[in-house]
Amino acid sequence: MIQKGMWWKLSGIILFLYVLWGGMTIPLRPGITSINPSSAKTGDTIELKATGYNTHFASVRNGRAWLKLDSVHAIKALTWQAKNDNELTFRFILPQTLPNATEVFPLHLIIDNETDGAFVHPNALFLSSSTDTLSFDAIPWTKHELGQFNDHQGIQFPYRSILNETIRNTFFHVALWFAMFLLLIFGVVYSIRYLSTSDYEFDRKASAYTNIAVLYGIFGILTGSVWAKFTWNTFWTNDVKLNMTAIALLIYLAYIILRGMNYDQDKRARLAAIYNIFAFIALIPLVFVIPRMTDSLHPGNGGNPALGGEDLDHTLRMFFYPSILALFLIGKWIAELTIRFERVKDHFYLKKS
Amino acid sequence: MKFKSFLNNLLLNLTWIMLLIPVSGQAQAMDFLRSTGKIYTVVVVIAIIFIGLAIYLIRLDNKLTKLENHIKNEQ
Repeated sequence: MIQKGMWWKLSGIILFLYVLWGGMTIPLRPGITSINPSSAKTGDTIELKATGYNTHFASVRNGRAWLKLDSVHAIKALTWQAKNDNELTFRFILPQTLPNATEVFPLHLIIDNETDGAFVHPNALFLSSSTDTLSFDAIPWTKHELGQFNDHQGIQFPYRSILNETIRNTFFHVALWFAMFLLLIFGVVYSIRYLSTSDYEFDRKASAYTNIAVLYGIFGILTGSVWAKFTWNTFWTNDVKLNMTAIALLIYLAYIILRGMNYDQDKRARLAAIYNIFAFIALIPLVFVIPRMTDSLHPGNGGNPALGGEDLDHTLRMFFYPSILALFLIGKWIAELTIRFERVKDHFYLKKS
Repeated sequence: MKFKSFLNNLLLNLTWIMLLIPVSGQAQAMDFLRSTGKIYTVVVVIAIIFIGLAIYLIRLDNKLTKLENHIKNEQ
């Protein structure tokens, strides 16, 4: 039943199923969604209410929490009162004095227990001085040692505030762009081969690969738009990466129109091949160079780290790279079907005329 | 042609439904997509990819049927 040359098509499907299964079932690491209050004065005793996500506050025995300033300055929570698994109240007694002469201190909340492991909510509480006196004392801040943290158990994706579960879109939205770029490389290579051999087969291949790549690009724009609505709160921002990609897509749409025109096949193929090479050359600065030169919301642009840190850790990589390969193989498969269709069509009409 | 008219009908109906949804309904849909850590946003993204690929394949299928009919008529 399985024909020759079927293995890569099947592996594309199996890889995509693997990505869907893993990408949708593996839980996120625990995290804090909100903190109340968010500011305090020195000398206060505060009841800090934290709302967690994927946390097990009520069912742990050894729960600890700190408000941390830096690696040596921290205050430990006195009590740990869990209302349920996701709601927690602790009491902190803030020292009378600030450790040094800075006006406002952003404190990070660290929570640690044996089930969830240790996790951080950055800039949880802003602390300012309650008096105008300029006295600084670091000693009350260094009494509480942070000690040993627990590790979380099993494979979990990173928890990022705002992103939350949508970090899984890395496997679909981001991988789609990578697969698109691979398909465009195939397209431009076939265009070059057409120019050097004048074999219509290469023209058909170049056109089919570029078509599916443009389709992926359109999916990329649409999925990115949906993702942006729920993280950046707008369907379209004036982010450079968005605008430059839109321009690149328009350049490629012109290729499709050019290739679809109905005139002399030889002229059409030659023109389309040359245009495709220019479009590819234009794509590289538009997508890879210009967004890096200014500020951008996208990772990897304007000083943001790309493919590193918590945006893409080893658990995400386990599904991100297979996803690129899967989407590429599915795209190649569809391109192959288009090529076979075009081949039959060309043969039929050439025979007739 | 039958398929085309079906698609047209579907689009028309969808436009009507979109127009008739009150603003509160839209807000509810937005809230639903934000619930459970925004997981439904991921579902929408996967659905877009799947529906898009399906539309492309349906169009290819239609073009193939047309070509097959041409070839049949020639013989």
